[in-house]
Amino acid sequence: MRWGMVVDVRKCVGCQTCTIACHEENALPPGIFWRHVVDVEVGEYPEVRRAFLPMGCQHCAEPPCVPVCPTGASQQRADGIVFVQYDMCIGCGYCAVACPYRARHMIHDQDWYFMAPTPSEKKARDPERHGVMSKCTFCKHRVDKAPAGATPGVDPEYTPVCVSSCIANAMHFGDLDDPNSNVSRLREEHQPGVLLEELDLKPSLFYITE
Amino acid sequence: MAETRPPAKGRISTPIALMPAVLQHEWDLYHATWFTLMGVGGGIFLLSRLMRLERGLGVWLGLPVVDLVSFAVIGVGGLILIWSLGRPLRFLRAVLKPSSSWISRGAIADFIFVVLGGALILPGLTLGTARPFAWLPWDAWASTTAGRVIEGVALAAAAIVIVYAGLVLADRAAVTFWRSWAIPAQFMLSSLAMSMATVMVLQTLHATPIRELECWWLAAFLVLLLAAIVWHLATRTTQPGKAEALARLYTTYHAVFWGVVLGAGTILPVLLAVVAVLAPPARDVLGVMSLMLTLAGGFLLRLLTLRVGYFPPVSGALRVPKR
Repeated sequence: MRWGMVVDVRKCVGCQTCTIACHEENALPPGIFWRHVVDVEVGEYPEVRRAFLPMGCQHCAEPPCVPVCPTGASQQRADGIVFVQYDMCIGCGYCAVACPYRARHMIHDQDWYFMAPTPSEKKARDPERHGVMSKCTFCKHRVDKAPAGATPGVDPEYTPVCVSSCIANAMHFGDLDDPNSNVSRLREEHQPGVLLEELDLKPSLFYITE
Repeated sequence: MAETRPPAKGRISTPIALMPAVLQHEWDLYHATWFTLMGVGGGIFLLSRLMRLERGLGVWLGLPVVDLVSFAVIGVGGLILIWSLGRPLRFLRAVLKPSSSWISRGAIADFIFVVLGGALILPGLTLGTARPFAWLPWDAWASTTAGRVIEGVALAAAAIVIVYAGLVLADRAAVTFWRSWAIPAQFMLSSLAMSMATVMVLQTLHATPIRELECWWLAAFLVLLLAAIVWHLATRTTQPGKAEALARLYTTYHAVFWGVVLGAGTILPVLLAVVAVLAPPARDVLGVMSLMLTLAGGFLLRLLTLRVGYFPPVSGALRVPKR
């Protein structure tokens, strides 16, 4: 099993719902965005296109952020999810400078918005996350609680929140190793590309652009 | 069976920057400081021991002053390193992944260097008339087999200490400007130059004549450093990420880079070292000047290397409508 995402760039309208949903779900502090949407213009008038690309950790099969970690806090699960074991991280920042997708974020300062955590921040924030590296976890806390019979990527409750919140059905999550999964079918049908393919990091985020 | 879609209309764009090159902000002043101090601390021990200068550089409480200076500089560098961490109290965990991380290898080398270097000089410790560690089967000058073994391992650790900061940058960072053998070479040569100048000043302070050899070594380290810097500036200049780094170096930091790092911190000390060879009476003054200049140049070399660290653009090709 290897979790992955397929993003249909043709459908993304750049509404940033995924950005906000991720921020809320993970109680991220001000200025930290594990998921964000890049707004690009391509071509020259009159052949112009505006496109939106949801970006974040690519959960590479060969993640450059993992081996550089001096403590082993930066880890990759058997299902491909790359995450930070907060209580092992010393906050050296090496993984952040090793990631070409700039998907890692050190939480230096106060990790809530106002004088005290809001109820939703209290619910999801992790005090261990202060002073250490943070990153997208593919909402493993949601994926991991899927009971038998439920399928992350199909059942919204057990799907990364950026995917389940997408208003345009532009983002899809599933098992890349399962030929019958939604993401495998999309890959077969559209032959989506990956970002920075030349680095051969084997990212788990695929983009349908045509 | 998957639905067969009609071919998309339009043309594929040439790869464009979906995310432009951006500066890294993780590592800055603290890191440049500990990179510098580790380099100088390790270099002082390495050069003085390899050149067998430690006896002529003074003794304090029976311990070689040059070694104490080395440990003090390393100690301050280590404290700054620890302070720079997001979770300083967890610093001991930095040694857990030597198989793949240069930070772990460097941290282990730091520990080995300080422990074995300290153990090496310990038998010389004199408190009043007492020498509480004189029973150890070696002396501070490594004149016995056991001492030579400890000194050899400490020297190897010191060599790693002066080079690992550069390897941290060059080995696996995504920043293109750092991904070159020239970075560890620059850091190592800069460390050796700063250390040589420090040793020359210690010679002056202990009324030990600075030999021609020390002046030549200082000049050689700096000439090689200059070559490494020029090579790095002149190669792969259009590489994504490096092009932006060079542009920033030549604009935002041009005065500091050309004036201090290259001019005052590298080329001028070479000239001073050559003058020192020709004019022995001026060596004491020239040594002090060389130390100040190489320290400023070496620190700013590291700081600018960090501050022009750009992540390369994330590029991709998209289909553009054909009209």
